Amino acid sequence: MVSCKDVFIKNILICIIVAVEILIIPTAYSIQVIANANVTSLTKSQLQGIFLMRQLYWPDKQKIVVFVLPHYHSLHQDFSKKTLSILPYKLDQKWNKLIYSGLGTGPIVVQSRQALIDVVISTVGAIGYAEDEAAIKDKYVIKITH
Amino acid sequence: MLLKLHIKIQQTLFILVVANLLMNEVSAEQSTIPDSQIHGFIAQGLINVNGSNFVNDDGELSAELTEVGLNGSYQLNSHFRLAGQLVYLNGGNRYGDGFRVDYVFLDWSLHQTEHWQVNLYLGRFKNSHWLYSGTRDVPFIRPSIILPQSVYFDGGRDIDIGAYGGALKISHNSDSMGDFDFNMSSSTINISKEQTKNFLSKQAFGEMSNSYDFQVSLYWQPALSSWRFGLILLDKEFTYEADEQGERFFDSYMTKQRVMANMSFEGESWEFSGVVFRDQNVIDGFYSPSSYKDRVAEGFFIQSRYRINQALTLLARYDRFYADRNDKDGQDLEQKTGGLFPSYFNYQHDRTLGLSYDISDKTRLQFEYHYVEGTARLTPRLLPDFAINNNEHWNLWAIELMYWF
Repeated sequence: MVSCKDVFIKNILICIIVAVEILIIPTAYSIQVIANANVTSLTKSQLQGIFLMRQLYWPDKQKIVVFVLPHYHSLHQDFSKKTLSILPYKLDQKWNKLIYSGLGTGPIVVQSRQALIDVVISTVGAIGYAEDEAAIKDKYVIKITH
Repeated sequence: MLLKLHIKIQQTLFILVVANLLMNEVSAEQSTIPDSQIHGFIAQGLINVNGSNFVNDDGELSAELTEVGLNGSYQLNSHFRLAGQLVYLNGGNRYGDGFRVDYVFLDWSLHQTEHWQVNLYLGRFKNSHWLYSGTRDVPFIRPSIILPQSVYFDGGRDIDIGAYGGALKISHNSDSMGDFDFNMSSSTINISKEQTKNFLSKQAFGEMSNSYDFQVSLYWQPALSSWRFGLILLDKEFTYEADEQGERFFDSYMTKQRVMANMSFEGESWEFSGVVFRDQNVIDGFYSPSSYKDRVAEGFFIQSRYRINQALTLLARYDRFYADRNDKDGQDLEQKTGGLFPSYFNYQHDRTLGLSYDISDKTRLQFEYHYVEGTARLTPRLLPDFAINNNEHWNLWAIELMYWF
């Protein structure tokens, strides 16, 4: 016979476990920032500046070329929200303001995950993102610090 | 003096650009990066105004809400880029309809490092100083179909939106301090007969010209913050040469100095923005050779948008404008003109509710309703149409379908 007290304790324990999972266990990012440039790490603020098209050059004066997947792509959505901490529609707004006022250009959109990896690896100065599982040489992976 | 300086600056810049273009060879290396980008938009709407001539004189439902644009950008080399946009607009009485070169300029990248960007824009460029001025004709970027008229007065659209000259932009991004944007522009614009009539009076047959337009602005967004703050200063000068063939108006000299501040917040679901400004307007002449009017106009708007989900966004805005801060209720105006100018021609306050629905990634349907008190932001401005605009309270609704690529 299970008492009301046991059920109550069991529910409390479940709530604590769920809270611990959410609050303490870090979310494993399944996304890596990749670049074909002479950098090994970027701060989050720098990464935002690059994808908002504010920082246009790498420290060695090489022009930055930003590649992204289409707006609706799940990897783009996850990259925007989790890695950049900018909502995808906000990114679109920033890019559109640059494009339609003439003051700048937007990123180059490619259609698939593999195409994004290929074009970043083959373009000097390029930056993009890839899934953790993708086979990418370490020299292209950029560490993001806070 | 300022005009001479302005011409001298433009001549010097032109020589510098040509010299730099000649010295910079276009790279012969093969590149996978495209040198050009083409984008555009098309939008058509319906608008119904009850109680004013904001869009048409007969008050009927109107399709005079058409906006089409095509723009391109071409990277000449690492220092120079060409950008241009052509638009077709039809907004009824709000502004003249037809094709326009929205902007066409050379973007000269003077200095680019990890934390600093300095660009010089030469040619016809958009006013990028105000919160929405750079993209006020781009329907899917601006927050509403009709922008707050206190700041974005449609009757002055062609005068405010862009001009020929030079503009300097200095951007600095710092991990600790955030992002700074400093803009400075010096320009002049050609004002057509239609724009002159829209702005001054339907009986103004003379030539209106803009001798100079000087603006500076500074924006700051703290690091990793959703807030952004801006300060804008503006100085404009106009002249009007009355037509000699029996025109009722007179030669005049007009100036406008504006101080404006804005702040905006962009959160996950909520957006807030607010603008406050003060204009010093001087009109020397026009009504009579000895007429001299020196008035201070002021206004503000506050706006909020709430994103319900990925497709649906709601809008609420309150916009307030006084044409004369010393006569906010317009009683002096009415008395001094013997009742010719009703008091409500000295203010205009607008309450707006709207919603937009993203049908797809590149298609949006937008709807809004405005309840307006006063007529100070209707065209023509200096000698209004009293016969049609005989209501203190009026309203409008508009719906617009837009597509962009």
